[in-house]
Amino acid sequence: MREILKLAVVLTVICAASGFLLALVHGFTKAPIEYAVLKNVKEPAIKAVLTGFDNDPVKDLVKIPMGKDKKGKAIDLKVFPAKKAGKTFAVAFETSANGYHGPIGVMIGIDADKKDISGISIVSHSETPGLGARIVQANFTDSFKGKSLEKELTKEDIDALSGATLSTNGVVAAVNQARELFDKYRDQMLQ
Amino acid sequence: MALMKDFTKGFWDLLPPFRLVLGLCPTLAVTTSAENGYGMGLATTFVLVGSNLLISLLRKVIPSKVRIAAFIVIIASFVVVVELLMQAYVFGLYQSLGIFIPLIVVNCIILGRAEAFAAKNGPLPSIMDGLGIGLGFTLSLFTLGAIREILGAGTLTLVAKAGLAFNIMGEGYEPFTFMVRAPGAFVCLGCLLAVINYVSVKLDERKRRAQS
Amino acid sequence: MSFGDYLLFIVGAILVNNILLAKFLGNCPFLGVSRRMDTATGMSMAVIFVMTMAGMTTWVVQYFLLVPLEIEYLQTIAFILVIAALVQLVEIVMQKTMPALYRALGIFLPLITTNCAVLGVAIINISSEYDFFDTLIFSFASALGYSLALVLFAGIRERYVLARIPKVFEGTAIGLVTAGFLALAFSGFAGLVGH
Repeated sequence: MREILKLAVVLTVICAASGFLLALVHGFTKAPIEYAVLKNVKEPAIKAVLTGFDNDPVKDLVKIPMGKDKKGKAIDLKVFPAKKAGKTFAVAFETSANGYHGPIGVMIGIDADKKDISGISIVSHSETPGLGARIVQANFTDSFKGKSLEKELTKEDIDALSGATLSTNGVVAAVNQARELFDKYRDQMLQ
Repeated sequence: MALMKDFTKGFWDLLPPFRLVLGLCPTLAVTTSAENGYGMGLATTFVLVGSNLLISLLRKVIPSKVRIAAFIVIIASFVVVVELLMQAYVFGLYQSLGIFIPLIVVNCIILGRAEAFAAKNGPLPSIMDGLGIGLGFTLSLFTLGAIREILGAGTLTLVAKAGLAFNIMGEGYEPFTFMVRAPGAFVCLGCLLAVINYVSVKLDERKRRAQS
Repeated sequence: MSFGDYLLFIVGAILVNNILLAKFLGNCPFLGVSRRMDTATGMSMAVIFVMTMAGMTTWVVQYFLLVPLEIEYLQTIAFILVIAALVQLVEIVMQKTMPALYRALGIFLPLITTNCAVLGVAIINISSEYDFFDTLIFSFASALGYSLALVLFAGIRERYVLARIPKVFEGTAIGLVTAGFLALAFSGFAGLVGH
């Protein structure tokens, strides 16, 4: 009996010590890991929509709380600022709207002073190859560059894709969503 | 000095995976480039030294009946620490090594040394044992990775992020892609093992002749 | 997924992405037990049994323990403990209820705890985001693929015992080179499933 007790105690102590150590390491690596993941996954899209900055948009990440999801977890909007000499002149963030086959994730860059689109990049989609999937092509995304966001964007403002109306509408809807978010949270984004 | 011997035996006598025939899975899988090779080697060395040290310190306290379970918890803890640190500070390497980082926990070298050495020796020799064998393993992985990369892709990558990658074979080189794929790994390791066997035999012969 | 999709999925796991010859999982025991047919088949049976059960158990642990408590970073340590405990449990139960099978498997059962293929497949199940049924199928099919490679290899090794091999290649070295050619043969399956 005593032997089993000793076995159990030793194992429990080792497990507890291990749990404590790991929770500690997890605690102080959480932030660097989040940064590393964002930098490796999002940076290509950010570089495609923002130019001329001298900072690290991922490092200067601004998180804007947007309420809670169904499970009660807080949702944040991640905004990547482009700065020159410490002053933010443009921001990039992701929005999503439904296309033909599912949600389309769009990274959009907005110039703060001119309030126009500095660029968009399709981050994720499940559109039909050869049809809706053409939204990733440069001739489509480039047509968004420089378009003003003073008013809502419409299909006529850009080079819509023939035979892929719903996909095009999805991207436009995502851009307008971004416009709304920019109007609502402009000050927080440019801090 | 005995301590030095504990350290140097990892570089020849017990060189993994050639003379200490353990740890083959990661050897075959990650040696697609020199950088991946030594990256994995260093991660394994970290876990090996850590677990050897802790197990050695606790060797009188852990009852024999549960020692394997205890060893596994200790080794796995160090592996999670290495996982988190790599994910935070060397994300590119973390992605390249992929599933083989958590698989360090079942790398027979680590459990093997825990059982064969750390459980029976003091902390300082255990550290030297872990360091020697770990660094020997790193050297093997680096060599195999370099050979496969130079023949299979024509390049030698030392630190990709710092741009320390060299196009060794030049522009007109037609890469021998067999080398960087699965079959090439097996064949390359087998041939390298044969070379080491040959060197072993020759060294033994010379020792015998010197003694007689 | 339809029946046809499942068939492709299984063939893919066994031949195209053979966990041993294409993904490098489970090499240590592979080179150790494959010298003879009977040890190879013994190990195969043990692997099929443990890998399938471990796949299912670790899936449950991931989605009912690690995710709800937000401790996914403890996956490695949780999985290896689950596998070690599972193997112990299977040994005890099998000794009492199926002694013949227990004797047939011999030492291979405890050896599977350190077989990186078992832990590897468990991790792949989660990273590929399979649901429970897909996990069961993938674990079982991967184990079949492993066994296939093992048995084929043992067959080859039994034959070349009679051949003349250069002394420096004897043992593990020639084993590795042979495994390489077996892997080359299997890589011919690459276009089979059209992934």
